[in-house]
Amino acid sequence: MKSLFTSGHRGCAGCCDAMVAKFTLMAAGEDCIVISPTGCLEVMSTPYPETSWEVPWVHSLFENAGAVASGVEAALKAMGKKGDTKVIALGGDGATIDIGMRSISGAFERGHDITYVCIDNEAYMNTGVQRSGATPFDASTTTSPAGKVSYGNPRPKKNMPAIMAAHGSPYIATTSLGYPKDMIKKIKKATEIEGPTYIHAHAPCTTGWGFDTSKTVEVAKLAVQTGLWPLYEMENGEVTKVRKIGKQKKPVEDYLKMQKRFKHLFKMEGAGEQLKLIQALADKNIEDFGLE
Amino acid sequence: MATQLTKGNDAVIIGALYGGCDCYFGYPITPASEILHEASRTFPQVGRKFVQAESEEAAINMVFGAASAGHRVMTASSGPGISLKQEGVSYLAGAQLPCVIVDIMRAGPGLGNIGPEQGDYNQVVKGGGHGNYRNIVVAPNSVQEMCDLTIMAFELSTKYRNPVVVLADGVLGQMVEPLKFPEKAVRPEIDTSWAVCGNKETYQNLVTSIFLDFGELEEFNYELQEKYETIKEKEVDVDEYMMDDAEIVLVSYGISSRICRSAVELARKEGIKAGLFRPITLFPFPEKELAALAGKDVSFISVEMSNGQLLDDIKLATGCRKPVELVNRMGGNLITMDQVLGKIKEVAGKEE
Repeated sequence: MKSLFTSGHRGCAGCCDAMVAKFTLMAAGEDCIVISPTGCLEVMSTPYPETSWEVPWVHSLFENAGAVASGVEAALKAMGKKGDTKVIALGGDGATIDIGMRSISGAFERGHDITYVCIDNEAYMNTGVQRSGATPFDASTTTSPAGKVSYGNPRPKKNMPAIMAAHGSPYIATTSLGYPKDMIKKIKKATEIEGPTYIHAHAPCTTGWGFDTSKTVEVAKLAVQTGLWPLYEMENGEVTKVRKIGKQKKPVEDYLKMQKRFKHLFKMEGAGEQLKLIQALADKNIEDFGLE
Repeated sequence: MATQLTKGNDAVIIGALYGGCDCYFGYPITPASEILHEASRTFPQVGRKFVQAESEEAAINMVFGAASAGHRVMTASSGPGISLKQEGVSYLAGAQLPCVIVDIMRAGPGLGNIGPEQGDYNQVVKGGGHGNYRNIVVAPNSVQEMCDLTIMAFELSTKYRNPVVVLADGVLGQMVEPLKFPEKAVRPEIDTSWAVCGNKETYQNLVTSIFLDFGELEEFNYELQEKYETIKEKEVDVDEYMMDDAEIVLVSYGISSRICRSAVELARKEGIKAGLFRPITLFPFPEKELAALAGKDVSFISVEMSNGQLLDDIKLATGCRKPVELVNRMGGNLITMDQVLGKIKEVAGKEE
């Protein structure tokens, strides 16, 4: 499959954004327009001469990829185009589920024919690893630092796919960089379905999470295999398919201990209780989605 | 008192803590993020509140809420984030709420880049949001002033119940210099005459900026203008360097003023009577002082990292009575000594 996201950008080795961008374009093909809000992806892959995009690409403000995508889609309709050109918004977790939430909500509620792909690396990486609404429970970031009075981020991740499902979207799927074929398949399906569709891609960040640059895929797989990141598809509000974990099931420690952002959980007094809480989050996912 | 090598952005938080700020609301943006990091680390340690908002707009409206409750509160951001906050700033000014906003300017317009610039001058000094309001604006030019002027900003905002902006730039935010810690910490009291504190005493207080009656709103607007006039009379602050006999006056604030100081010294060595006029307050702008200078035999040079935004105010203050030249850079670039000295010599040459 030809990649329309070329090399030569300034992403870190093992960069999750670059991988998701590449797989997204493999799925969408040449006839698409990509809208990206501010973030690592935009900064490292668009300024001349390091431009990696071989498809039309529009930058939006941090908070309004949903609105810009709505505008592009409306303009295509005004030109008489009938869904042949795919409109894809590709934003990070901060741009998607924090500051950009309102404009995505508007786009989905109005029913624009767009596909929104959230690259979820669970913090604001471009500005220096500050917590976001997608930062998992107990992760240490620059604004939720673990220390004497804190085990890190005090709240679990915001459940964005459920919020998008509540908008009546015809297709929502979670996916992971651990499973590129799964990602390409789901994004392709999303772009082929009429109406606003949402893909939430779990994307481990080597720099922000603190793991070796060769381990992006391994870390991503472990998030799925522990149950911390369930892979599922929802059509018209109902879960229609899940990826079972089965015999691959791993304890959450296997996933957490690979990452610096969780290292305090293996050092601090009383952290054992925290590990149990995180295991409970994974177990609940496994139960809720029937992953076993 | 202790002296410590400190980053400009960290100095803001040291100033805030000594200045009695007890709530910080913020959102990440380069090159201001260290202010957020430092607040998240230090505020909880001393029992004060840090909240990371989901957007700049949320942060400024959290400021609105906490300021309504009578607390000393702040937020910090950079150009694009300040633009997003403007609606909230207008509401803060309209409801006459005190707060401190720090703008670590970066290069624009649009996303621009994260290099230093002074292009936010107009949006911050002239208002920025809708309506007939002004921010009080203070402009530090060192790490020491990043701390000291933040304290001053809290004092002014409480005194006048008005938003105060600390207008700095990417260099001031990121650079490290020795910081002499403040002598004493302020422990502010909540003014129950207007704040809403959820108690009997403040039960009847109302925080709002709505005036449906046109006449009432006009009257309120006049009251605001009177307040700004008082601020203009009492709060102008300027730093003058070798100005006594200066014939060529460099006008510059913030990081740009640092190179001007050196340029003045070099020009003096060559026998050119140059001086530096550095506004520390940008609103109130030192209009009278500049007007008085314009009555003497001087030429002005505006040295700024923007497109003549400061130059416009110099022309206004001096009634265009004297020439005002421009030395500037934009796009994240710093002004060079050659540029400033070259212009000084050019102007001196014209005068001979």
